[in-house]
Amino acid sequence: MSFSEKVLVFENLDGLSTYIAPTQVDGVVTLSGSLKGGEFHAKKSNSKIASLSGSMLDKGTVKKSKHDISEALDSIGADINFIVSNHHINFTAHCLSNDLEKVILLLSEMLQEPRYDSDELTILKKRIIANLERSKEDTRKQANINFVSQLYPIAHPNARYNIDDTISMVDNISVEQLKDYHQKAYGLGTINIAAVGDVDPDSLNQLIINEFSPMAKQSISNEYNFPAPNKRVHKFIECIIKDKTSCDLFVGQSIDINDNHKDYYSLMMGIYILGGNFSARLMQTVRDEQGLTYGIGSGMAGCSYGISGHWYTWGTFSPDILDKGCDATVEQINSWFETGITEEELQAKKTTFKGAFQVSLDTTSGFVDKILTNAEKGRSIEYLDKYNERIDALDKQSINKAINQYIDPKSLTTSVAGSLK
Amino acid sequence: MSDLFQHVRSSQGIEEYQLKSNDLKVLMLQNSSTPVATFMVTYHVGSRNEAIGYTGSTHLLEHLMFKGSRNYNKEKGTAIWDELQSIGAQINATTWNDRTNYFEVVPKEHLEKAISIEADRMRFSFIKDEDRQPEMTVVRNEYERGENSPFDVLDKNVWATAYQAHPYHHSTIGWRSDIENVSTERLKEFYDVYYWPNNATATVIGDFDKDETLALIAKHFGVHKRSEHTIPKVYTEEPIQEGPRRVVVRRSGQTGIVAVAHKTPEGLNSDTHALHILGRILCDGKSSRLHRKIVDQGLASSLFMYDFPFKDNGLFITYAFLTPNTDHQKVEDIILNEYTSIKTEGVEQKELDRAIAQTKATVAFSRDGSYAVASALNEAIAIGDWQFYTTYLDKIKSVTVKDIKKVAKKYLHDDASTTGWFVPKQ
Repeated sequence: MSFSEKVLVFENLDGLSTYIAPTQVDGVVTLSGSLKGGEFHAKKSNSKIASLSGSMLDKGTVKKSKHDISEALDSIGADINFIVSNHHINFTAHCLSNDLEKVILLLSEMLQEPRYDSDELTILKKRIIANLERSKEDTRKQANINFVSQLYPIAHPNARYNIDDTISMVDNISVEQLKDYHQKAYGLGTINIAAVGDVDPDSLNQLIINEFSPMAKQSISNEYNFPAPNKRVHKFIECIIKDKTSCDLFVGQSIDINDNHKDYYSLMMGIYILGGNFSARLMQTVRDEQGLTYGIGSGMAGCSYGISGHWYTWGTFSPDILDKGCDATVEQINSWFETGITEEELQAKKTTFKGAFQVSLDTTSGFVDKILTNAEKGRSIEYLDKYNERIDALDKQSINKAINQYIDPKSLTTSVAGSLK
Repeated sequence: MSDLFQHVRSSQGIEEYQLKSNDLKVLMLQNSSTPVATFMVTYHVGSRNEAIGYTGSTHLLEHLMFKGSRNYNKEKGTAIWDELQSIGAQINATTWNDRTNYFEVVPKEHLEKAISIEADRMRFSFIKDEDRQPEMTVVRNEYERGENSPFDVLDKNVWATAYQAHPYHHSTIGWRSDIENVSTERLKEFYDVYYWPNNATATVIGDFDKDETLALIAKHFGVHKRSEHTIPKVYTEEPIQEGPRRVVVRRSGQTGIVAVAHKTPEGLNSDTHALHILGRILCDGKSSRLHRKIVDQGLASSLFMYDFPFKDNGLFITYAFLTPNTDHQKVEDIILNEYTSIKTEGVEQKELDRAIAQTKATVAFSRDGSYAVASALNEAIAIGDWQFYTTYLDKIKSVTVKDIKKVAKKYLHDDASTTGWFVPKQ
């Protein structure tokens, strides 16, 4: 059965769409939704306003205290979570099917009538800052922040702030700023909601319409004005963190391509062949043959919503063999760039992609993710039906051409973090 | 059903069979909601079967099990990872205290491939010295990555302090010098002692035909005989703890951690379910007691507890990740005061009802997807009875407020405690 046969799509109101897939799973539902309004949308003033506007949603509504909310959820074993990404305010809920109505009513109230209490904001800030302080000793996070910071100017949507700047941004946020942002961003216009599991589609959809239709139209700008990525340069950045037995390495560069581009799938497949899974080149050589690392891989990031992103290779190495590990990694990147991929690799990875897509639908959360991500990108459900066709259409020549066109091994940025020797 | 198998028992749709020729146990649960199946083999060998000098061997051996076997190897162009990842399978293996498991989540048409590979490496793995050397450094980097984490380091120290004689003293990854120096011969010996059909359970969950799958299991695993030796039992018992213990880890870092641990009984003990409910009342969800008293007050950024049921005794541990400038002692006192309150006052019926509702939802979600079911069954198999999984909810529902007070008094006492602090050194 195709995706479009499994998923019922309801274009309800102007800017509220629901995607519901009843499955044979017994008694549970996973629901996930989003609306535009992530950190990038608040960037002109303080991107963390968007983030905290979401984190404060479970800290009380006009009618309910945070304890009322947690009691209501815990008493039925359900959860509702909010995460604000770069582009979206995301919400997820897991519950027993019998409790779905209660959960939707509560979710709707939390989204539409947050309390934004100043004492709660003070406590939340303290907790967030503790996590940020803790991340200063996280070798992977530090290596990644330094890596991404070299690729983009700070006004770019994919840019990352350093930890101290982020702490300062969080510390400076007021309740008034949260309320103001909520009024602009939390409205109809770009809401997508997907639900998968033991569910009756029509009644769930009607419930969603009833609960969400009173929302006003969101008034955040949809215009994307931002600077280009930084010029690609060959650069090596080090970050010393004491008492660490393993270092993290990021190598890569910005790439002028997004996921709507005709070459996107070719480049994605090329990078997957380099380091997408255990049988890809990096794991087979740097780990399996040379024993230099527990894990190494490569991928693309930040290439959605019409924005060009970057590609990267990430790996971990003992400080004693970090240089050897870096050299082995770059050697594989150079070899991949110079000789390209083989037909045998391509055929193996085509079946990997198609099989993995099928396997990813084995859980309600895997299924929901596929539907929602597709909807967020403005694509119809039929786009998912054609996934295998897109994979089958890839050919070796186009992939090697894309690698050649978008990758430049002479201008790689390298970032390492740990107790460097 | 094939006459090669004996039906042993059924519970909540899960059927147990035994392959007559070699005593391999098989668990099956059909669910055709998606065209996917999970195949998992669980061996009754984990880090509890190790001793000084070869800690971490079970895990290192698990890594070597991917290096090649008689029919699946690089030389033949049939390396295990390549064979399985090329069909889009999710594939991995994990090692823990009581078990080692190998699994594949595959498009249903490839189920035989997974069965064939697991059967081949059950007895025909190469375990070569030339593979051990590069894989040892891979595992060492896995160890090093763990050592980067203050939580991981504190957790290892708490277990090593709480357990002195019993092998739960050391973590599954092992001690660094043992990882580096254990010989290939020792690993091979380990393999030859424990990797036999009569020490394993194969689990199949998802979209498959039962008779065809049993036939495939018989075809591939039936080539192995049962072991000629008796699988050795662990006889070491932890002596009774006679006083509170403390451990402090000081190293560079940013924020502190407090751990409060108490010894618990073996997983199949009848007190396990009441202890699980107690853990939820204390730490599960934002309405739990310690969340309100610690996280809601801004003393910690987060907290959680775990009380995994193991084959032998375990630990009931609460962890709090402190906010900057929060005093370790203050948080430790709050945790212990809450324990005391439950020991003296007990818990309210509504707290119990909430914890049961949370468990009900958790159990329902543990059936969402074939891997989730196989994984949960795997842990139940490891502690000695897969029906621990199928009877869990009924036993949880039968817990009373009286039971909770009783187990709190029985297990959360000072003399059985181990307290750990991670103190950041600037």
